[in-house]
Amino acid sequence: MNRFGIKHIAQLIIFVALQILLMDNLVLFSTGFCFVYIAFLLFLPIEMNRILLLFLGFTAGFAVDVFYDTMGIHAAATVLLAYLRPLVLNLLTPRDGYDTNDSVNLHVMGWRWFLAYALILILTHHAAVFFLETISLQEAWYTGIKTLFSAFFTGVVMIILQLLFFSVKRANR
Amino acid sequence: MRNLFAFIYRFRAFLVFVLLESLCVYLIVRYNTYQGAAFFNSASRYIGQVLEFKSDITDYFRLTSVNSTLASENAELRKELLQFKLAAQADSASRLDTAIYAPSDTARVAPYLLHAGRVIHNSVRRTNNYMTLSIGSADGVQPGMGVIASNGAVGRVKTVSEHYATVTSLLHSQMLMSAKIKKDNTFGTIKWQGGDYRTALLDYVPLHIKPVKGDTIVTSGFNTVFPEGIMIGTISGVAKEQDKSFYTIKVKLAVDFAQLSYVYVVENTRKAERDTLELNAGIQTDE
Repeated sequence: MNRFGIKHIAQLIIFVALQILLMDNLVLFSTGFCFVYIAFLLFLPIEMNRILLLFLGFTAGFAVDVFYDTMGIHAAATVLLAYLRPLVLNLLTPRDGYDTNDSVNLHVMGWRWFLAYALILILTHHAAVFFLETISLQEAWYTGIKTLFSAFFTGVVMIILQLLFFSVKRANR
Repeated sequence: MRNLFAFIYRFRAFLVFVLLESLCVYLIVRYNTYQGAAFFNSASRYIGQVLEFKSDITDYFRLTSVNSTLASENAELRKELLQFKLAAQADSASRLDTAIYAPSDTARVAPYLLHAGRVIHNSVRRTNNYMTLSIGSADGVQPGMGVIASNGAVGRVKTVSEHYATVTSLLHSQMLMSAKIKKDNTFGTIKWQGGDYRTALLDYVPLHIKPVKGDTIVTSGFNTVFPEGIMIGTISGVAKEQDKSFYTIKVKLAVDFAQLSYVYVVENTRKAERDTLELNAGIQTDE
């Protein structure tokens, strides 16, 4: 439990730092935003205390909010994501349930499972962020396009992270 | 009672979720307004240090453009200074007897002080954009002061800490700026609509005026935030719409917000005096 804590707190700091220092400057065509810090929540172990997950989500969102001057918006979206994550995991349970050593890993769970899991959650999070930002439903189509394009962008970055740092060897262990 | 606890325990995840979401909504409503000051924001000390560290690194990659901006600003200022010097040489009024020479009215002595600050964090592509400056209350910056760059108006200070300040950029969905068309002094309001960070809208220009493409838009000086006549941009398109009694005017902003590196915070030394006077007179000033 203790090792779990340190490892994941380190991941939290790394992902939030990545978001603030690097991804903040990386906006494609003024519509594609990359909120890569939610990868931290998505890559957590499958079996997790739901309350702890909610608080971790709030912490990550709040940290990003402080740097982005968008008090509460990212926090609200990440808490929503943290709440939905166990439900989506339940929905996507393989036929014979999750194995004990299953983790959110592209090589273990396969492309179809990972894409479905990641895209549902990323889309929810991004839609929440962008619609909370505008509040009104004016220009809803523009916000919608922004959401879709940004979700695609974040998804691609997340797959790259998976391919780089989640090796096949570890998966076969 | 036991049933109640059992119920709470069963739905604990959902209850925590609702609790956290309502906390977030409270934060959004309380701190996300245009004027609302937040305790946690990019002006706070540690956040400011991280942003300054980041800007220390990234600034190296655009030293050339920063230098050329500063050099052209210097050239502009030298040109103006030269004109004043020439005018002073040609002007014999100051040598006249003081009894005849009436000094101009005190309002013409500019009551504005400028504080230069480095932009350490900036955004242009969000719906509500802010920037962070590396000067704060220790350098005389207070919330509500205007911020200008060498080529035009930029925004308004939202919060300050000792060494940092957060600025609401003109590129903020709720930021309004009192402006006027320079050639005929028609005033209107500048508002950014989102999307392209180089264009904004000028509202409330009545239909009997004839604005044309290329007209200069400057600040009006009707409030205490900006001095009069600070450049905002030029008109890039005028449209008359069927059901509106005002023009829809597109303005190309003079400041390239993506390239900002150094800005000036405008301190109006007579702000308090003017604000209390207008308040006592019962005038509601917007902005």
